[in-house]
Order: sequence, then C-alpha cells, then structure tokens
Amino acid sequence: MKKSKFRFLIYLSIILFTGILLMAFTLPQDKKTGPAWEIPANYKAMKNPHADDASLTKVGRMLYSKHCKSCHGAKGLGDGPKAASLETGMHSFASADFQAQGDGVVYYQSYIGRDEMPNFEKKIPDDEDRWAIINYMRTLK
Amino acid sequence: MKKYVLFIILFVLGLQTVFAQEEETKEKDKPVRSPFESGYLIDNQTTLVPVEGTLEYVIQHKFGTMSNGMTDLYGIYSPGANIRLGLNYVPIKNVQVGIGATKKNKYTDLNAKWTILEQTRENTIPIAVSLYGMVAVDGRNESLFGSGKIVDTKGPTLPTQIAFNDRLSYFSQIIIGRKFTDWLSLQAAASFTHYNMVGWEYDHDKIAVHFNGRIKFSPQTSFIFNYDIPLKIKDISEQWEWTDHPKPNLAFGVEISTSTHAFQIYAGTADGIIPQDMVMWNLNDWKDKGLAIGMTITRLWNF
Repeated sequence: MKKSKFRFLIYLSIILFTGILLMAFTLPQDKKTGPAWEIPANYKAMKNPHADDASLTKVGRMLYSKHCKSCHGAKGLGDGPKAASLETGMHSFASADFQAQGDGVVYYQSYIGRDEMPNFEKKIPDDEDRWAIINYMRTLK
Repeated sequence: MKKYVLFIILFVLGLQTVFAQEEETKEKDKPVRSPFESGYLIDNQTTLVPVEGTLEYVIQHKFGTMSNGMTDLYGIYSPGANIRLGLNYVPIKNVQVGIGATKKNKYTDLNAKWTILEQTRENTIPIAVSLYGMVAVDGRNESLFGSGKIVDTKGPTLPTQIAFNDRLSYFSQIIIGRKFTDWLSLQAAASFTHYNMVGWEYDHDKIAVHFNGRIKFSPQTSFIFNYDIPLKIKDISEQWEWTDHPKPNLAFGVEISTSTHAFQIYAGTADGIIPQDMVMWNLNDWKDKGLAIGMTITRLWNF
C-alpha cells in the first residue's frame, strides 16, 4: 500500500515536471500581428538592383544576425530572444505570404518600419547593405 | 624610440606598396564595412566613428586586480575599482566629440576623434587613419595632489598653490588601422601624453605606442586584444634613472555586438580608464598578477 502510494507520487511528479519542461518550449504564437501595411507607391515600385549578387550573401547573413536576429530569430520565424517582450506578433519570413511580397514592400517594412518595428535607415545607411539583408531574407523560405 | 617610429612608418609604407599594385579605378569606392563594431576597443579607440547624428553612451568599468584570487572573488569584491561614464556625439561625418567622468582622480574629460581617412573596399585607400585627443581635469581636493611644480627648492607644493592649470592632462594619438579580412582588423597607434603637474620623481611627458585588434569568430562575437607600451625615452625624461616607470597595459577579452550595443568583457592591467592615466600611471604588471576584470558597454541612438 505504502509502496504504491510512493510510486503514484513519483509518477505524478514526473508528469508535472515534464509538463513544466514542455511549457518552456511553447511559443507565444497567440500574439496579434499588426494591420496590413500601407506601402507608398514609390517603394512598391522599387526593384532590387542587387538581386543576383552572390558576393553579398555573406554580408547579408552577417548584417541580419547583427540587426534582425534578436527579434526575428535565426531563421526568421519571429522567435528571437526579444520577441517575447514585444506586443505585436511577427510574420514568419519563411511563410509563402511573406515571400510573395515585392522587394520594395519588404524594403519599406524592413527599413522604414512602423510602431514596434524600428526605422533602420540610420543603422544601415548603405543601400547595398540593405538589399543584401533582403537577399538573405529571401533565402529563409 | 626611433626603432618604433621606423617600424610604424615601414609598416604603413609596406601596406601601401603592397596594395597599390591591386588598385583599380572604379567609379565609386565605398568605405569597408564595419572595420570594428564600436568606437571603443577595451580602453582604446578604434578608427570607427558611428554615422553622423549618433549619440553614444558608454560605461567603462574595471574591478580591482585578481592578485588576491578567490579571497575577494578575483577582484570583484576588492577595492580599487574604477568606472567611467561617457557621452559621445557625431555632429558631422567622421568627427566625434565626447565628455566623460571617471572615478579615479575624479577626472572630467573632453575628447574628440576625427577619422581622416577610411579604408575602402577596392583598396584605393588601404588604411584608415584617425586622430584622437583628450583633455582631462583632475578634480580631487588640493590636499591630495603630489608636489611637482617646477620650483627652486624641492619643497612640497602647498595646497593653496595649486592652480586650475595644474589639474590638466593631455593625450593625443594617431591611429592607423586596417581591416585585413572579414574576421581580422588590426591597429597600430602612437601617442603623446602630457601632465601639467606630476610628482618630483615622474616625467611630465610620455610617448607610447599601441597595438590592438579584433579576431571575429562569429557574426556577433570577436576576440579582442590591446597592448599599450609607454616608452622609456631618455631624451624627453626629466629623471636620471627610471623609478616606477609605467608598465605596459595588456588586455584581452571578448566582444559581443548587436545593432545598438557593443559589450566587451576583458582582463587587463591598467587600473586607469582614460588613456593619459594608463600611459602615465599604470604600475600593474600582467606578469605579476596585475590583471583585473573589466567591461566596456556602449549604447547608440540615432537622430
């Protein structure tokens, strides 16, 4: 009798601990993403002048990990270490919806920004560097 | 001394001749991407000046030396810690002005950095060249000053005789840097330090050479090191023999950088933080348990 009670307690604690452990891996996916972006026409019409520049691959990866990774995550899923403290949910860069957007749209979203997405024009002043990051984001699908 | 100067000149000239051969005339040759992640490298300056309109806040902290080991948790509990808080602003491209306050000697400093040349991607300019200068005011009570005025008799200087000028010290430096590869950037620098007032047994002037660099091993993390050597030059010394000649400052650590921060943690010898203090007064020796843990943290805002 005593032994089975003890065993029950062990099972119970194992289940509890596993539950707590698994909770640590849940993502705050229930956050609402912002409303649809209003992109000015001149940005919409933008074309990526460095779309096929393979020499920028490394630059894009380095700059992404310096400026974007902390919120958007290493693979662009919106699960970086700072994501939890944001109020707005992030779209995954791997999603088809995101990748279907034009280069100019992604450019506006990335460097002009709005609300919690900061402006990066001063942080990344060189246009070539900005397109290098977009090239890298295109590889995240 | 001549040997060192010659070495620096040869080093720079050598670089230029090597890279002049690869020179290509392209329409527009842009500066290399981030030769360093921050304007600070441990307790030295890099040739990097942030984009104009940037305000930088810097916290530099050094604990006491690790000489007592575990007893005072490798210097963390020990006295002799030093801290500097600074603000820098970039009003025009490649020119930075700053102000700071340091605990040791209650220094208040004004400083400026001008990056005259930036290394370019196509090697039309193979190196970056910066000038850095700092003026500091020793803000301690008069009674804490040593004697050192040039007077006829070697009597002590009375507290009442200490003028504002006596509190001033100057540091000027020329920095030459090159980003060799994506992961390796190195700098060499020469500096001149002057204190308006020092004790009898010290020199007013000191020339030093500096070598430092970073070795990047991941997109955001680098190994960083720094070596400052105050030179023994008889020609500018006021002493017959060297007593308590300042020791070299050796430091090495790790830098982690993000979009708006650079975080550097290191072990280094000098207890001073402002450069003239390190060149003139450092007596800690890295060969004799003189290392202390320190940190440099910067935060950037753009306007």
